[in-house]
Amino acid sequence: MKELLQLAVDTALLRHEAYAQHVARPDALKRGLALLALVTLVAGLVPFLISFVGDIRPVDIEDQRREANQAIQELLTTFDSMRQFIDLPPGIERQIVANMEAGIDMGLRIEALPTALPKPLGRVLQDLGQWLSLPFGRVAGWIGYAIWVLLAAKLLGGRATASEMLGATALYATPHVLGILGFVPCLGGLLGLAATLWGIAIYVKAVAVSHRLSIGRAIVATILPGLLLGALLLMGGLTTLILALLGASS
Amino acid sequence: MKALIRLAWEALFLREEPYTEMRETPKPALRGLGLVALVGLVVAVAGLVGTALEWATSPNLQDIQKTVLEGLQAMPWYKELQYEPEFVEGFLRSFDIGWRVFPQLFGAPDLVSGALRIILLPLSLLIIWVLYGAVAHLFARLMGGQGSLSQMLGCTALSVAPQLLNLATFLPYVGVGAVVGTWTLLCRYLALKSCHRLTWGRALAATLLPYAALALVVASFTCLGGVLAAMIFEGGAVQ
Repeated sequence: MKELLQLAVDTALLRHEAYAQHVARPDALKRGLALLALVTLVAGLVPFLISFVGDIRPVDIEDQRREANQAIQELLTTFDSMRQFIDLPPGIERQIVANMEAGIDMGLRIEALPTALPKPLGRVLQDLGQWLSLPFGRVAGWIGYAIWVLLAAKLLGGRATASEMLGATALYATPHVLGILGFVPCLGGLLGLAATLWGIAIYVKAVAVSHRLSIGRAIVATILPGLLLGALLLMGGLTTLILALLGASS
Repeated sequence: MKALIRLAWEALFLREEPYTEMRETPKPALRGLGLVALVGLVVAVAGLVGTALEWATSPNLQDIQKTVLEGLQAMPWYKELQYEPEFVEGFLRSFDIGWRVFPQLFGAPDLVSGALRIILLPLSLLIIWVLYGAVAHLFARLMGGQGSLSQMLGCTALSVAPQLLNLATFLPYVGVGAVVGTWTLLCRYLALKSCHRLTWGRALAATLLPYAALALVVASFTCLGGVLAAMIFEGGAVQ
């Protein structure tokens, strides 16, 4: 664990030697993945603990009903402010509120249905499952993009194996440990942005070191798949727009 | 058995050694068969444990169905329409059909499906393994590959290793998601590269060509189905 933390610190500070030594190890991917999973779990720890504490307490149905009614009142206030701009049919609020109240009642009745194991245990297992699923989500996003970067880097003359490159680029997750403060208003968002930019810098360095490429080529390999994806989406959007306009004009 | 799991575990981390070991082992296809069946079985059993725990912590599905129906029927929009007999009949029919489909789609815990997976998962993994292995072998040979079909099947059996991530579903409510598919692709690339001693570009082409061939077959069948349907309906309309 200590070694893993040292790796996280050294690579977060973009120390070249740390990357080179990491890539040269036969277990680079294993270590990279372990770090990625650890960081993601730590970043998601606070929301998990908040849900956990909330879910081990017995549920008061009346409290939940009060919270739901409060949300309906807030919605009605929004409707009032919308009325200045949109001509809403008379009595629409009453209809929406009646349907929402019936929906809330249905939800609360489902919540009250019995289960084989105690309800708090089920809720805690659900929180635990969601928390433990976080690393899989991050790995899916990272590996899905990394295979395109691997291809781009190879075409630019890169020499890393899949294991070496993936092991190195997995380190991009380290700054995302700042996500543990994600719940703090304003600061959480700023830290998230900082972690993203820092992560990109680590990613580029990891591509450069693992593929023995210059930083310039590593930047190209890193952003090329994103640019191509963006261009494809733009082309798709434009085509749809043109077809829609043609359809409307005919 | 322990050696097979060790091999799959190392293959999961995309190391070349397990693929080389599998290529050089006597009867690699037979060893691969054992590995695919074992991984499928272990993953399905782990999944069943997770499903059982989810089932035990969820209300009975029929009770939920009854509560939802009563809840919908208590809603003002339903009360306005309930005096139209056609609406009530159509609504109940749609609700019944929806209830047969949606809980499965949204992953409602089903013990019978979970138990059936103990047979179906290894079986489906075996079929996919043989089909992909045979087609990829053909493309790899066309690209100048030197491995035998048995070696190829042995090496591609290691691409079942990412299924080991599904062992996490031993815990209820854990979702592994799309990572297994992408990881499998990487393992297949490594299997082809290692088994046939191909360059990275040729190995990549041989890895992806079976997917392209499958897409082509599906597209052809879809077109053919469309043409046949059009002919049948047009024929019916003429008559």
